[in-house]
Amino acid sequence: MPADAKLSHTAAMILQAIHAGQIYGFSVMEMTGLPSGTVYPAMRRLERDGLIVSKWEQQSIADAEQRPPRKYYRLTRTGRSTLDAVYKRYPLLEKMIPSPEVEQAVERR
Amino acid sequence: MKRVLSAQLAGFMVRAASLLVPRRDRSSWTAEWTAELWHLCHPHGCESCVAPDADPVEFSLGAFHDAFWLRCDRIRSDGLPILQSGSAARCAFLLSATAIGALLVCLCLPGARSALLPLPWRGAGNLVMISSNGYAGTQAPSIRLTDYEEWTTDTATLFTQIAFYRPIDKSVHLPRHPAARLSVAQASDNLFQLLDGPVTYAGTSVAEPGEPRLVLTRSAWRRIYSGDPHLVGRTADIDGRPVLIAAIMPDSDWRFPGHIDAVMLDNPANLAALPLGTRGFVIARIRNSAFPPPRGGWRKMVETSRGVTRGFDCISVTHLLGQPSSVFLFALLLACLALPATTALPLGDYPLRHRLLPGTVDARRWIFLAVKFALVLVIVDLWSTGLAYGLEPNDPIRVLYIQLATAFPALLFGFRWILQDQRRRCPQCLRLLSNPARVGQASCNFLSWNGTELFCARGHGLLHIPELPTSWFSTQRWLCLDPSWLCLFPENCSPSPGMI
Repeated sequence: MPADAKLSHTAAMILQAIHAGQIYGFSVMEMTGLPSGTVYPAMRRLERDGLIVSKWEQQSIADAEQRPPRKYYRLTRTGRSTLDAVYKRYPLLEKMIPSPEVEQAVERR
Repeated sequence: MKRVLSAQLAGFMVRAASLLVPRRDRSSWTAEWTAELWHLCHPHGCESCVAPDADPVEFSLGAFHDAFWLRCDRIRSDGLPILQSGSAARCAFLLSATAIGALLVCLCLPGARSALLPLPWRGAGNLVMISSNGYAGTQAPSIRLTDYEEWTTDTATLFTQIAFYRPIDKSVHLPRHPAARLSVAQASDNLFQLLDGPVTYAGTSVAEPGEPRLVLTRSAWRRIYSGDPHLVGRTADIDGRPVLIAAIMPDSDWRFPGHIDAVMLDNPANLAALPLGTRGFVIARIRNSAFPPPRGGWRKMVETSRGVTRGFDCISVTHLLGQPSSVFLFALLLACLALPATTALPLGDYPLRHRLLPGTVDARRWIFLAVKFALVLVIVDLWSTGLAYGLEPNDPIRVLYIQLATAFPALLFGFRWILQDQRRRCPQCLRLLSNPARVGQASCNFLSWNGTELFCARGHGLLHIPELPTSWFSTQRWLCLDPSWLCLFPENCSPSPGMI
């Protein structure tokens, strides 16, 4: 998907939430307030389009914490550049879900 | 307590939704949703996802949406399973299409259609054809009219009714229509009453006493009289006698030997006026209390009113007209006997109770095999029936020979193809294996293994086929690959939980 591709507001929110550090589907739901039936298919679409990638966490880590392993998501380089393009279209996105850099800048001030 | 119940219900919903997910993504998808659900239900297990007020059931409802989206997306990217080359769905689809094509061909051929449809007469199991010479006697007019007339009184204890007919060409004249030469079954007037069929007579009230009635077949009505809607009720001239056209009957209602265009129902007095040597066919309906309906041929001795004992054969009409299915069963038996002599029956060596091949996968393989057998049986039955009745619609004996001659080789080659096709499929995804590679070289003492290896394009395993069967490697062997190999196969590279 090209970097300047147009994303829906929902997809942009999910992309921003993942960028903000919400790397699991459920935490993206919590951050965006979107239902599971919207978040998971949207994340699969983003993954299919190469904007995010998923990875299973190591079994040993999950075993140590006595829980099932989780699948986590992170932005790809294309996803990051797409997100930068999306900020121009949805200027309030960064304020709704602040990205880590913005949060750090606010804290420094 | 309520939260535990809702967690269990949510888990059940996720498992139910997983059935919508394509098989190759299912384990990974289920693991992700199960893990997410676990963290939802155990908020203390993870500080970042504390959700005491989250409803697991509401959360799991989204699993259906997600699974449905995944299924649609897979169809969009891969195409429908029936369009994928080498897939089991495509194979079943092509076989089904062939069977439907054969059925349509049979329905278009009048003779084949009649053979496939059930007999139109009520209580057809009690109908018999009387013959003086077993089965052979039912294919040509063999009963003398005088014998029939004797039997009408002498066999009253055996049969409720007995009817006579003889096929003969007659010239039929109708006003405003050109004279036509029709093949007419001149029959006793109780024929349709005996058959108890669906033919009804229009305009019988205008028939003069003793006036014969003519029942035209639909094809003759269309062909000769151009489907004239006012034909029924009019009087035709046959051999100088007025005959009332009483009804039009579907061609499939006439199943007896002899091709006819019409049935002329004549009263006993007119039949008695026929020459003494006249021969025809005799049909009778068995009296239930007299003897059980014969399952094939059956000989009956009767003492006539003149004190003479006469014997005749009763041939069950259902058995006589059901010969095509009997011939097909015979061809099937022959093919089953010939199959082991012409091809190897074993489907190969598969690991029993292998952890990578669950029972459902194995069951699917067998179901697919059974479906192929069933469809091939239907296809061969329909095509052989269509071919036989298409080539020789009016000769029942030749029909049987043609059907036997076509059904037997078709079944044998069909079964061979089924077994060969099954051996060349992945037991897990049932797709045809590909990329054959020759491995090894034949050694002088044949102890070194050499043969062909085939791959499943989805990375489920390898099939080893020995070039020369040996005592230690006689049939082909399937080698399952574990999921760690999947990343080598582009068609199936969804990582499983725990994979980095």
